[in-house]
Amino acid sequence: MTTINYFFKILKTPKLFVFTIIWMMVLVVLGTLAQKNMGLFAVQEKYFSSWIFWFWHIPLPGARPTMIFMLINLSFFFFNKSLWKINKMGIIILHLGGILLLIGGGLTAIFSSEGNMVINEGEESNYVEDYHYMELAIINTTSNDFDTYTIFDYNVLKRNNILIHENFRFEIEILHYIKNCKPIRRSTPSEVQYRGMMKNFMLSDLAPLKEENLNRPGIIFNLLNTGSRVDGIYGLFLGQTVPQKITVEDQDYIIVFRKKRTYLPFSIELIDFKKVMHSGTDIPKSYSSEINLIESDIKKHLLIKMNEPLRHKGYTFYQSSFIEGPDGETTVLAAVKNYGQLFPYISSIIMCIGLLIHLVIKLPKLIKSRNV
Amino acid sequence: MNCFQKFIIASIIISGLFSQDFEFRNIPIQENGRIKPLDSFARNHLLAMYSKRSLKTPAFPDNIGGKKMLAIDWLLDIVIYPNDADKYKVFNIRNPEVVGSLGLKWDPKHLYNRTDVLIGLQHQLDYIGKIQSTLADELTSFDRDMLNLYSNVIHFQDLCFSFSCLLPVIKIENENLASLMGIGQGTMVSYFEIMKQADTINPLIEKLVEKNKNDQNELDLELSRILHELNEINQDKFAHLLKIIPPEDNNSEKKWVAPWELMDGWKIGEKQITFLNILSNYIRAKLNGDIISEQNALIEYKEALIPYQNLFKTKNLKLETWYNSANLFVKSTLFYILAFFLLTISWMVKPALLRKIAFSSFIIGIAFHFYGIYLRIIIMQRPPVSTLYESIIFVGLIGVICATFLERNRKDGIGLFAGSICGIVLHYIGFGYANDGDTLGMLVAVLNSNFWLATHVTTITTGYGTSLFAGVLGHIYLLQSIRNPSNQTYLKTINSNMFGATLFALFFTLFGTILGGIWADQSWGRFWGWDPKENGALLIVMWQIMMIHMRISGYVKPLGFALGMVINNIVVVLAWFGVNLLNVGLHSYGFASGIARNLTLFILFELIFGLSAYYWSRSKRNKYNIMQT
Repeated sequence: MTTINYFFKILKTPKLFVFTIIWMMVLVVLGTLAQKNMGLFAVQEKYFSSWIFWFWHIPLPGARPTMIFMLINLSFFFFNKSLWKINKMGIIILHLGGILLLIGGGLTAIFSSEGNMVINEGEESNYVEDYHYMELAIINTTSNDFDTYTIFDYNVLKRNNILIHENFRFEIEILHYIKNCKPIRRSTPSEVQYRGMMKNFMLSDLAPLKEENLNRPGIIFNLLNTGSRVDGIYGLFLGQTVPQKITVEDQDYIIVFRKKRTYLPFSIELIDFKKVMHSGTDIPKSYSSEINLIESDIKKHLLIKMNEPLRHKGYTFYQSSFIEGPDGETTVLAAVKNYGQLFPYISSIIMCIGLLIHLVIKLPKLIKSRNV
Repeated sequence: MNCFQKFIIASIIISGLFSQDFEFRNIPIQENGRIKPLDSFARNHLLAMYSKRSLKTPAFPDNIGGKKMLAIDWLLDIVIYPNDADKYKVFNIRNPEVVGSLGLKWDPKHLYNRTDVLIGLQHQLDYIGKIQSTLADELTSFDRDMLNLYSNVIHFQDLCFSFSCLLPVIKIENENLASLMGIGQGTMVSYFEIMKQADTINPLIEKLVEKNKNDQNELDLELSRILHELNEINQDKFAHLLKIIPPEDNNSEKKWVAPWELMDGWKIGEKQITFLNILSNYIRAKLNGDIISEQNALIEYKEALIPYQNLFKTKNLKLETWYNSANLFVKSTLFYILAFFLLTISWMVKPALLRKIAFSSFIIGIAFHFYGIYLRIIIMQRPPVSTLYESIIFVGLIGVICATFLERNRKDGIGLFAGSICGIVLHYIGFGYANDGDTLGMLVAVLNSNFWLATHVTTITTGYGTSLFAGVLGHIYLLQSIRNPSNQTYLKTINSNMFGATLFALFFTLFGTILGGIWADQSWGRFWGWDPKENGALLIVMWQIMMIHMRISGYVKPLGFALGMVINNIVVVLAWFGVNLLNVGLHSYGFASGIARNLTLFILFELIFGLSAYYWSRSKRNKYNIMQT
């Protein structure tokens, strides 16, 4: 019993907090310096959204357990009887704000999802593409009335995995997943087992770039058990213009390797993308997308601007980027769904009130003059 | 000249001096996306070539008189007398390699004129062409200096010939032609004035072409001479820098143009012709030394600008030229220095009186400092902090304001000491940044939001200021505990001031950082992205929280806390400037060369000072304690 009491006693001390925050500072410094050579996403994966990371051969806690530990420490401190006194009101409120901020961070880390919505002028879209993850879609196009989609998520697209589904009879064996590849035309005829694009091209393995979004992922897989000459090795890469079509037992399929898609219950049509420069310069002044929000065939005319996003059904759409091509402009909207969005707002207000109260209580004592 | 004329001229000069009337330097021009007075434009260009905002001897010839020449006077002189512009040695070349490769003689003042540079560059054109297509990171400092010099001399030429289409240099000697054009025989006219008469002259030229060379009469000879001269002047049509003619309709998105851009006669509008006419009159008056016509031209120019008041305010143009010439931050620094010296003297003689005088000098310094920032807000129509330069000036202001409150409370000079050091050092750093170029630039789209600039940026910068102030108090505590460890009550009051300042600083850094997250959430949909600048701000907050908790849990005594606040300065400066060195992320807007060296020096100084003062005062206190017992 006493050991448990002792344990609780330690858990609520500010001393523990000092060590936790020092470790957190170390993580932040490491994660900031690492950005010189690593992309932001990779740094986040390694230090900030990880449970542990490896430093040489030593496993060290990442930011996630550190912040959970900080939350435990704070909560024990918060429900400590000796804290609840009127002259410590500022402190109580301040730490409550801190707890809420950490909880909000946790909710965001677990439940939020984000991605890009890329729309050409005059076209519409109803799905969000993930920033980082890919998927493999097998589309059965045999019927004139409907298509059957079978989507394999990024976490099964690993070497030696065999993908099977009741929607089709054949099997897909993943041979290679390439983070950043470059299609290169073969100089000599390929070996017999290659099919499709791989007959004339090979996918060379490049070092992944620091800027995650400049990488072009690719995948090489083996089709098995089709019972015909369709069996063989296929390759696909992101942005491939000619889709891979196969026919197995009178069924037509298209196989697509693409960014992971999340479909929305509504769609967005881009009417016009506008870019305004400071007059007479190349300094951008503002970007905006004029859109139609289409929901059950009702169109709503809206404008998404820098610093002025569109909020709808839990999603928020931000003007993120644009592409200027020969066939007109394309807008890139960042779409975010975040359940913890309100927490930082509330907790910052609470923390500021708490700190202000504490300052008002303490300040007269702290700026006393020499004569006192 | 009779008495009456003299009186008028005298009164015009006097009223010109005192009424802040519309002057040549107030004329609006569009540069880098902003409408600014010609005065600022001239200063920026002179700064780029000459590294200073006004000319000093020997950069301009002795016959002009005085020791200093304003940038605007230099600009006016080179546009009116473009062929005499060689008398200005405005190209400041400090790199001996560049001087050598241009075949120039080494000048101890590093100053060269246009012809020197142009002749030297002739042999280097191939090399310049090569390095122009090289990536910026692969250039050596020699390459960069060469490119700079090349673009500077091109800009200089461009500026010189900006008004050559308005200069009356073509003499009309033929009586018939003069009467056709409606002017007196022997009048000098400009390229523009002939262009305006195109309807009269074109038929004559057509006839001239058809005529046989032997049939040409006096008028024809005159015409072909004029055509030849027009052709000569037409060589200057590349001059597009001086964009002072507003668009015909007062639409804010339309570009302003330089006089030469209107000379082909296609797209010129009625209002634009008016502007060119007034400018021609002004130049003619200037050439003839006719002060009355000069003033009249300026009055007309001001009236012609009235339809454009939605693009800019004439009042603000005048304010900006005044701000340019007033050097408010220099004056403010001088008063801070004065306060500092008076304070140090007050420790030796007449403490009470001198401290009071020092305090008033300090307050005057703050007044200049504050007024300077206020004027920038009015001129740019945006909150006080939006660039790195502005953040330095603003942090200085926050520091001195904190110091004033402390001084009012303590009345013993500690506040003055801390405040004047804050003010002087930050102003000094600010001057270094101001010399990098235009300090009144436009912002890119993401930053272009007055609401968030006003809330997040101002709060976080206030946080930097208060944190640095707490750091300065840490220094004072360490020094004081070395100087006189026996005076415990005195040390205790400084200690509690320091703790108060830290809590105060924490309020702003914490709130500012969270506001930054909220801005990011509003604009990009993520509250926190572990971007270097965000991490920097987070580090300041965490460092301060850590120091406060270490103090609460008894890990540090006041002396250790003071050391922590000295290190706090390092954290602040790293978050403020250091992250720009990483050159990644959304906030890396303020990169400046040489920053790494200065940062390292600062960090080393703070570390050595903090640690040695900490251990010295500990050993001193131990001795003192032993003596007590």
